[in-house]
Amino acid sequence: MTRIRALIWKELTVLFGSPLAYLVLTLVVLVAGLIFFDHLRAYNQILFLFQSSTMGGFETDTIPDHVNLRDTVFFPVMENLGLTLIAVIPMITMRVFAEERSRGTDELLVTTHLSPNEIVLGKFAVTYFFVVVAMLASFVYPAMAILQGGIGLQHLLSVFMGLTMLALALASIGLVCSAWTSSQLIAVVASWAIGYVLWDWSWLTPFLREAEALARFFDGISMHPRYSTFAEGIVNLANLAYFVGVAIVAYALARSALDWKRIAG
Amino acid sequence: MSSEAQTDSSDAPTPGVRVEARGLCRNFGTHVALDTLDLRIEPGQAFGLLGANGAGKTTFIRLVTGVLLPSSGELWVDGHSPVTESAQVRRRLGYVAETSRIYPDLRVRSFLRFAGGARELNGAELESAVERVIDRFHLEDVAGRWIGQLSKGFQQRVSLAQAFLHDPPLLIVDEPTSGLDPLQQQEVRDVLRGLRGNHTLILCTHDLTEAQELTERAAVLHRGRLVAEGPTGEVLGGTDPLRLFRGEAAA
Repeated sequence: MTRIRALIWKELTVLFGSPLAYLVLTLVVLVAGLIFFDHLRAYNQILFLFQSSTMGGFETDTIPDHVNLRDTVFFPVMENLGLTLIAVIPMITMRVFAEERSRGTDELLVTTHLSPNEIVLGKFAVTYFFVVVAMLASFVYPAMAILQGGIGLQHLLSVFMGLTMLALALASIGLVCSAWTSSQLIAVVASWAIGYVLWDWSWLTPFLREAEALARFFDGISMHPRYSTFAEGIVNLANLAYFVGVAIVAYALARSALDWKRIAG
Repeated sequence: MSSEAQTDSSDAPTPGVRVEARGLCRNFGTHVALDTLDLRIEPGQAFGLLGANGAGKTTFIRLVTGVLLPSSGELWVDGHSPVTESAQVRRRLGYVAETSRIYPDLRVRSFLRFAGGARELNGAELESAVERVIDRFHLEDVAGRWIGQLSKGFQQRVSLAQAFLHDPPLLIVDEPTSGLDPLQQQEVRDVLRGLRGNHTLILCTHDLTEAQELTERAAVLHRGRLVAEGPTGEVLGGTDPLRLFRGEAAA
């Protein structure tokens, strides 16, 4: 425990000693706020249009059912927030392993009493902690939409869980990319590419009518449908298992990067 | 035996450990970095590993530290293999890498606390070890400063200090004065001279004066092969020791 505690403390000091952590946190909150207020503005405009066209004021019966806070603000905000995370999370994960390699401090780490498993575990733990903090900060606006829209606390928890699981899965992918290179640029670009590629394969389904198994496979590896289920307030074990699975596979791949360096040099 | 988590009952610090290589080879693709090396370094010995750039010195110490795996051959550190018993080997060694490979964004004392914690020191034992190395390597004036703001000489001292926190019986130092000015070189050599006797020291260098000053026995490598080995004075005492660096036999 002493060893891993020392590593976690070092990682936290390096992370929060760098301006990057604060920049990323600011960016997440700023973008979440912009997305939220943009959709809220659009929602208000739609309400105003209905008011103008019907001349009936803001009476509930003059507004169609599909124009509500949930469908017009909350769901699109969550959708855009998910896409934003694919862009932002790799900015924090890119340096975690790659910077150690480029500075040569990875050799210092592996010659201490820390085992390779402890090194990977410590780095994953600190990155996950940062991601949860970032999600808490970015969740203020969606939470307002949920509470003001009367969607309920249970739904709020489900959405937060979905957002956090998505962010942790993206962080895991980013950490793997960082573990396999000494270039932070390669790590961040690879993380973006994998994140966007895994985001949504539903567009492929119409082309795969003859190959249902293949269509199911692509649907199965897509993040978006699983994330959307949480946004709808449904906590599904299969979807949870998917995100946990991504984290476990990522951990194993990051761990093997350390072994590979001993073999390949 | 190979479990990383396994603790060793014979962990008590000794005056030094034996390092032994038998037929040790390391290839990078088709490039042979180390070619059937046989070497024996006795406990408490200050051993110089010499050779031109690319001779295989750093490869050898990376194999000893377990950073790299050998392509073939055997390697033992105090009877433990860095391949299958890397945890036991790591407990016995302190490693100072070629350039100051330490965290510029940590303060000296914080970095030493981390390095001590990573070597299982905690509480009063950790604080005492940190103060001991700060005192031993004359880091009192810079203990609160960022490592990135220190001169190369001080960074090298910090690097040496972290390797000594757990008082390891084996100290491996790779090109400790590379890139330093003459005054800083002298400072680092003084520090290393003070360590002789209580530890096995493997000093990797291409500086002949440094080797003569600091080591009692030396080996010269050329393109991964052992060209000469013996007491440092004898190995480097010929009319043209640079012949060895070129891979030619001693005169």
